[in-house]
Amino acid sequence: MSTDIQTLKSLDLFADLNFGELEQITPLMHLMKVTEGEVLTRKGEPARTFFIILSGNFMLSFKEERSFTLHNKGNIIGLSTVVTPFRYTGTAVALTDGLVLLMQGQEFLRLIQSNSVLGDKIMRKINKIVSERMPYMTGGWGKRRH
Amino acid sequence: MFGFEAIIAHDGLGISVIGISIVFVSLILLSFAVSRIHKLIGLWDKRSKYYNRSKKPQQKDQKTPSVLVPTLPQDVQRVSRQFKLLIEWMGEPFPLPKLLDLSGKCGLSHPHSTINEFIKCELIIPAENGYYILNKQVEEKILLLEEKRSSA
Repeated sequence: MSTDIQTLKSLDLFADLNFGELEQITPLMHLMKVTEGEVLTRKGEPARTFFIILSGNFMLSFKEERSFTLHNKGNIIGLSTVVTPFRYTGTAVALTDGLVLLMQGQEFLRLIQSNSVLGDKIMRKINKIVSERMPYMTGGWGKRRH
Repeated sequence: MFGFEAIIAHDGLGISVIGISIVFVSLILLSFAVSRIHKLIGLWDKRSKYYNRSKKPQQKDQKTPSVLVPTLPQDVQRVSRQFKLLIEWMGEPFPLPKLLDLSGKCGLSHPHSTINEFIKCELIIPAENGYYILNKQVEEKILLLEEKRSSA
């Protein structure tokens, strides 16, 4: 199942893109239904797929079992597809049934690298999300109390 | 006189039957009393509620103050007790994946969606370090709801 431009435009990640840029992304995105308990990414595995949540609830867990949950449309899973070393840093599990948009990491990366303006718009947003999630990945809060 | 003759002559059989009856009746009464202890403890725990009820019967018609009811499905409220036990066993703050793993191993049904409900109604809230804690306020509200339901 492919997706439409209006759906992409409603997502925060692509909100700054113009019609032409959205047209380039649309054929790369595919709809996928997920069921409760389904694992979308596994920590340490090669990051091959990038996900954007349309509906449903998800848990992302990182090293030392630090975790957070995602509940909103437009939330992203699989940032490692465009960030070195291109291996998932966390495990993503669906807490409920839901719907996600997925894109193959290599295609996404190729698109970002081939169109610098588009790439810049997307990478700026991705970098912001990465910096927000960094403490979960690195354990930046310090050691656990017990 | 010796043996059975002596026993019969001194009403030994009757006395032994009465003795056995006394012992067994006492044991039955004792076991019944033990089986009712939980009711007595329940009454003792709710003594303040009964005391207030008997003290202020005139307030019965007045509107009771509305309690902020967490929007939690009833079946989720029921399983919250089981999850609370797991959390107590793990200690707080606890890692969410571990709770998920343990609840699955314990055979709790739909652990993923249940935990999601807990997070949405803020029974489980994130601590600052990527771990989670129980929200005592919501927990108390759930207990209140359960108490209300059981007394109704």
